[in-house]
Amino acid sequence: MQLKKMDTTLRLQLALASCALIATPSAFSATSLYDETSANKPLQVDSGVLFYQESGGRVQVIEPVVDVKKDFGDDRSLTTKLIFDTLSGGSPNGAIPSKSVQTFATPSGSSLQPSAGSPSNTGTTKENERSVVALKALTYTTASGQVISTPNASTTGGGETSERAHGGPYTVQPGQLPLDPSFQDERVAVSTSWQQPISAADKLSVGGAFSTETDFRSLSINSGLSHDFNHKNTTLSAGINLEHDSILPVGGAPVPLSDYTLFQKTSDQSKNVVDGLIGITQVFNRHWLSALNYSIDKSSGYQNDPYKILSALDRDGNIISYVYENRPDSRQRKSIYWENKFAFPHDVFDISYRYMSDDWGIHSTTVDARYRLELGRQFFVEPHARIYHQTGADFFRLYLTEGDPFVAYASADPRLAEFDGKTFGVKVGYSPSRTQEFTIRIEQYTQTGNAPAEVPTQLQGLDLFPGLKALIVQAGFRFEF
Amino acid sequence: MFSARAIARILLAITISYGTSLFAADSEFNIDSYKGQVVYVDFWASWCAPCRESFPWLKTIQQAYGARDFTVIAINVDEDHQLAEDFLKEFKPSFPIVFDPKGKLAEKFGVEGMPTSFIIDRTGKTRFSHPGFRLSDRDGLEAKIRSLLPPQ
Amino acid sequence: MLHRQRKYRVVYACLALLLVSSCSIGVKPWERDLLAKPAMQLDAYPIDSALDDHIYFSKEASSGGRGFGGGGCGCN
Repeated sequence: MQLKKMDTTLRLQLALASCALIATPSAFSATSLYDETSANKPLQVDSGVLFYQESGGRVQVIEPVVDVKKDFGDDRSLTTKLIFDTLSGGSPNGAIPSKSVQTFATPSGSSLQPSAGSPSNTGTTKENERSVVALKALTYTTASGQVISTPNASTTGGGETSERAHGGPYTVQPGQLPLDPSFQDERVAVSTSWQQPISAADKLSVGGAFSTETDFRSLSINSGLSHDFNHKNTTLSAGINLEHDSILPVGGAPVPLSDYTLFQKTSDQSKNVVDGLIGITQVFNRHWLSALNYSIDKSSGYQNDPYKILSALDRDGNIISYVYENRPDSRQRKSIYWENKFAFPHDVFDISYRYMSDDWGIHSTTVDARYRLELGRQFFVEPHARIYHQTGADFFRLYLTEGDPFVAYASADPRLAEFDGKTFGVKVGYSPSRTQEFTIRIEQYTQTGNAPAEVPTQLQGLDLFPGLKALIVQAGFRFEF
Repeated sequence: MFSARAIARILLAITISYGTSLFAADSEFNIDSYKGQVVYVDFWASWCAPCRESFPWLKTIQQAYGARDFTVIAINVDEDHQLAEDFLKEFKPSFPIVFDPKGKLAEKFGVEGMPTSFIIDRTGKTRFSHPGFRLSDRDGLEAKIRSLLPPQ
Repeated sequence: MLHRQRKYRVVYACLALLLVSSCSIGVKPWERDLLAKPAMQLDAYPIDSALDDHIYFSKEASSGGRGFGGGGCGCN
């Protein structure tokens, strides 16, 4: 299943630097007896593992991460991070619940054994007819009034479906949200970054990242520059990230908006992303640090989710067919991010706000706050809350309706819908020594959205936008090695 | 015996001298009392990561040159005195420590960054100032100290 | 047209004032004890934020925004 890459925001541990003086070695100096070379500086290791579980048999992720930083002296360092993640469970395929049984073919490579109760591929049971043979052509009316219809599978028999299914079909019971249960994959990602001062007040970083999974590969390079002035109370920063993604869907990338049962496929796809950021960080007083960032990113190429479909319905809400989604081939996003950190004698309060808007018609606001309560010298507890809201993409459709005006782009991907997200959790930390820290956090993330006010008769009583509920548990350990 | 006014005056005198001696204890660092010696003044704090690297080196140069009219004086700027004490317990320095929690000495010396060191010659004149500390600075700093010491 | 120019002049003046006034805002180099605390760094737990970024990138339409640099002990 296509997994989205980890967001490559520029994350630098920038130690502040001044010019390195040219050392004048002295033949009999006490210091030449030193063995404190950079080879003896310990490695800083930061590791963690994430368990993410959505309720209702949906997505489950286990993701261990390890990050190693080597200090080469003179404020130069190399950081390397390795991430492994394994994904399983079911993910919405974009179709909406129905009052009748629905059958879908899985597009991924892992084949499913149909259970004893599910309809066979070659039979002519009622369910089979509805899902394959009985599907009518989906008709559209263009702006000029012309009626066009997409080809469908009505002339093909049930037997042909099994050849194209790339694994057995899966059945969805009435009233249930259709989930593709073969959402299974493993991903490996590596990233590395070199940081060094380039003058008394400037620091530079350069890095790269690579990730790979069955149907997706990503390669990126990044660079960042920061300039301190005003006695290091003000810092200006700028960064850029360039990324190339290869999308290699299992079974091939589908022809957009084509009838799902035809399995019309095209070749592998790709996209390029350019990300730019500028920021200013200001120390206001001994207790207050503030950072403001503005970023733009532009993505060009294949933006679709190759496995997502939409339900195509008649005016009463009966299923006619399913079609693959289509999104524009570019996307530009702008966001502004403002973070404030307040230090009390022992505790720390962090609050941030982000506003994002893109050319797909989506805008979002995120407010994130956490309060770190120090309990003695070794323990802390940190409650956390994150409130998120996004509007839907212009081309987001819960489903398509026969006879509606033709749309060039349509997607039922819940990620592009209008919804509210809330995260609440707590983190606890224990530090047995200055160089070690154990942490554990438990959070719950909930997405709630609204179904449309008016629904056709066949959809009434169905929960068309059930949202999402997920448990997040992460354990972490930092140490020196 | 003593009149109320006298007692009041005595109490006032004690309070003022105690009060000023409190301030004097942490900001009245008289560099003149070190004339005749080369002094390496180092402004440090428990929260300053490079200071963890500089302290072992300061101990070494104190040991190497302490017998030659030289001393390190480390001035601490921690506002939380306990943190400074923890640091000193860990590094066990052999040279004098001065506490400047309000930063008055740091202000007077014109500290521009943490850590900062000043090398003062035997006449009491500040000859070098050095912001920051890196391991690659050690040889250069030591050469400067040696240039001010009386010839052996 | 003129109206628009005037508006931008005010914006530039404000930005200049902000930059100039920032020269007097802040702390002395020896007053950064609290800012030096690991918990006061802008990205105090990079592993947590990377994992969170991954979750929210996969489930929402927004991502990133966070920057880098600044704050800290101001050492070296």
